[in-house]
Amino acid sequence: MPQEKVEFLKGTLDMLILKVVAAGPIHGYAISQRIQQISKDFFQVPQGSLYPALHRLEEQDWLEAQWKDTSTGREAKFYTLTRKGRKQLETEVLNWERLSDAVALILRTAE
Amino acid sequence: MRWLRRLWHRSLTERRLDSELQFHLEQQIADYVASGLPPCEARRRASLEFGGLERFKEECRETHWENHVEILARDFRVALRGLARDRRFAFIAIFALALGIGASTAIFSVVDNALLEPFPYKDSRHLVTIRLHDQDQADRWRGAFLFAEIQDIRKQNHVFDGMVANLEDDIVYSAGDGNLQLGGNFVSSGTFEFFGVAPFLGRSLAAADYQPGAPPVFVLRHATWVGKFNSDPSLIGKTFMLNGVSRTLVGIAAPRFAWGGADLRMPRGPDEPKVLREGDFARHWGVVAHLKPGVTAHEASADLNVIAQGLSRVYAKEYPKHFAMEVLSFGSAVLSPRFRNSLYVFLAAVGLLLLIGCGNVANLLLARAAARKKEFAVRAALGASRFRLVRQLLAESFLLAISGAMLGIFFAWAGVKTLAAVIPDFTIASETVIEMNGAVLLFALVVGVSTVFLFGLVPALQASRCDLHDSLRDTGKGVGRTVGRSGLRNAVIVLEVALSLTLLFTAGRFMRSFVALQEVPLGLRIDHVLTARMPLPAARYKTAAQLTSFFRPLLARLKSVPGIAFAAETSTLPPYGGIRSEVEVPGKAHTEKWDTLFQLCSEDYFSVLRIQFLDGRSFTEAEVNDVRKVAVINQTFRRRYFGDENPIGRRIQLKELKEFSDPLNDTWFEVIGVVADVRNQGLQEPLWPEAWIPYTVTGSFMRGILVRTTNEPKSMIKAVGKEIWATDPSVAMAQPETLEYFLNLFTFAQPRFGLWLVTIFAAIGLLLVTIGVYSVIAYTTSRRTHEIGIRIALGAARADVLNMVLRKGLQLVLAGIAIGLAVSFALSRLIISQLWGVSATTVSPSSRWPSCSLPLV
Repeated sequence: MPQEKVEFLKGTLDMLILKVVAAGPIHGYAISQRIQQISKDFFQVPQGSLYPALHRLEEQDWLEAQWKDTSTGREAKFYTLTRKGRKQLETEVLNWERLSDAVALILRTAE
Repeated sequence: MRWLRRLWHRSLTERRLDSELQFHLEQQIADYVASGLPPCEARRRASLEFGGLERFKEECRETHWENHVEILARDFRVALRGLARDRRFAFIAIFALALGIGASTAIFSVVDNALLEPFPYKDSRHLVTIRLHDQDQADRWRGAFLFAEIQDIRKQNHVFDGMVANLEDDIVYSAGDGNLQLGGNFVSSGTFEFFGVAPFLGRSLAAADYQPGAPPVFVLRHATWVGKFNSDPSLIGKTFMLNGVSRTLVGIAAPRFAWGGADLRMPRGPDEPKVLREGDFARHWGVVAHLKPGVTAHEASADLNVIAQGLSRVYAKEYPKHFAMEVLSFGSAVLSPRFRNSLYVFLAAVGLLLLIGCGNVANLLLARAAARKKEFAVRAALGASRFRLVRQLLAESFLLAISGAMLGIFFAWAGVKTLAAVIPDFTIASETVIEMNGAVLLFALVVGVSTVFLFGLVPALQASRCDLHDSLRDTGKGVGRTVGRSGLRNAVIVLEVALSLTLLFTAGRFMRSFVALQEVPLGLRIDHVLTARMPLPAARYKTAAQLTSFFRPLLARLKSVPGIAFAAETSTLPPYGGIRSEVEVPGKAHTEKWDTLFQLCSEDYFSVLRIQFLDGRSFTEAEVNDVRKVAVINQTFRRRYFGDENPIGRRIQLKELKEFSDPLNDTWFEVIGVVADVRNQGLQEPLWPEAWIPYTVTGSFMRGILVRTTNEPKSMIKAVGKEIWATDPSVAMAQPETLEYFLNLFTFAQPRFGLWLVTIFAAIGLLLVTIGVYSVIAYTTSRRTHEIGIRIALGAARADVLNMVLRKGLQLVLAGIAIGLAVSFALSRLIISQLWGVSATTVSPSSRWPSCSLPLV
């Protein structure tokens, strides 16, 4: 677990969720685990943010959900990316890259 | 159609949300168990991390719109239940709101209709009338002009682009089975076009009607057509015998066309050399003009003053030594300036009422908010978002506002209807239609409703602002902790008390002035007196002898009627004015002009009115019939012009009699009696010197009768009418009424109306404030129940507790009273200056007795 809680930048969580879901159908718990894992425990997604975000993305038709059995035989809600969601992900990634490039540039050159 | 399905299968969505979150929790537990924690510890840790499950569920729910519909419905159900539980609060809040909205809308509507837009005429804001003032005597002016004068003004002025004139005349309509007395108006050519009003039926007067030799026609007033002719449309084209002339009815005027207040309007060109009546006053025409664009009334006055210099040389008799022309707006000429002032006071009062009403609602909402603080803290703790809390409160406010607004609209409607019905006659222009003003209603609604929403949201703000733990712990047990938060509530109470006191104070002033008005000693007895104006056909009654030939037998006949004690002839309606005249007393030198009023009357005048003689006697029947030059004067006359000398046997000269169309060569009279002062300028204006002389000296001037009856005077109208008919069938009584009726109409109706209105306002204000103070004290006391319990347990006596509670309330009320008194005293000058104005003298009785008191220079 990280020493400090890192707040998600507004909209960042949505982008990360979309990215994780883009890899294939996945349920909520797994999404939070994946984000935590990939970021090497840097991001810990609070459930209070995750599920409202998932429902919001679903409402916006960027995600769609299906109830399927998991490997343990329990029914869970699996999210997949829609075409609209994929487009949204591309835009957000592009924006993010431009943003972080710009920030990095300032940090490098403003010394 | 997924959203529609979801709306129907809400419970399914809800279950799925549950199981999704449950799944997450179980996975977490499973992971912890896998990592080696004991199952119960794993569950504890997972649950802790997960936090408030309900809260997330709520947040997830909010992402789905279909839940909003559901929540909205639930919000309203909860709000309704909440209000039903707190019924007293709801009723008071709704009532206060409705009262504020209703009262202010009703009064604003009246003011708007009566003051701001009273006339249905074309460009009525630029219509003006003209007055000629005598600058040596402040209250002397005339608003009517000779026909030739009007023609000259029309030709010479640079400020008007239109001018019309009218001449009042009494009309006797002879309809086979009897006579009907009507008010007639001769109007100059183009009158209907000038005012821009289309006829209701038939046609208006046209240019052709003014051509020499055109058949006589007339147009009937709508109200008269409805009231006296049963709205019979077949009357158009029929002929009527009016003052002996057969005239054809060509049309019914527009319902609101009421210029001159006449029942019928006839074409009569100003160019006609001879007008109907040869009387002194009937020759003067009323005038309305339309200002050219961009010209102010002030500029117009200046222009007319230049013209008047020339006119005063042409019509020397018509102009005083020093004079000034005044052009004033049509509305201000019609509406008494004093009633206008009263309306502004009502307007202010009703504004206060709206404020008090809103203050009350605000206070109730604040108190309720404070009482519900815990409820909202619990809701927030259980996962309600701020948005949810706000929405919940909005629903409540909405219900309150809607109910208050509906009831308010009803109050406004009822108020306008009532006010329109009870406004005394001759108070507002007869063209005015009092109806509800939509814009004003909207304004009041917006003010009221926004108060509800503004203060209704306070609990949500408090709940989101303050610390949850604090709120939950603070369940009203805090001692003195609420002081800061109740500051707003207390301020509202203080303000309310102050406003209400100001209202009460105003009502008190109105009441005092009304009582004072009623206690003014008249000097005459108005009970059991019947009076009527007696317009005589001008053609047959010109000279004094002709006039006497009518009144002498009539008075004799009336005196023999059972039930009539005394009958007299009179020239004006007491106690409102007389004929003004310059007066001379031999042996008395004076530099300034001496003035008096005088009356043309018969010997029983003093008996009919029970006027007290101080000296000498009244004239006898023989003196009247022999046209003896004798006079009775009043106490003011004696004191002012005779001083301490004995006036009996002395002579006075009434110069005005020389100017009459039936003039006297010798205008000297011998004083034979002195009577106690009798009001002769209404009740509020100072008394004038007055003289009474036999009516037989001249044939000029309008006449009427006064009859003292032994029983109910109105029951004698028929008997009196029969005697008049028997004396001359071509004469009819105009407006037979009791003296009490006229006094009430001219003097008491407006102040009474004002008094009632202000008293009702004050009562409502007091009621609202009482409720307001009670609700705040009750609330703060209930919050301190716990504290009081502890105090009693510690040995506080009952009196101490009472003292503590009452002191708080008293402080607020006293603060309010202090401010209210200060405001009242500040206002008192203003109110006093206009109070006598709720008076009648400006309701010119000339509208009843047109010729008698038309103020002439």
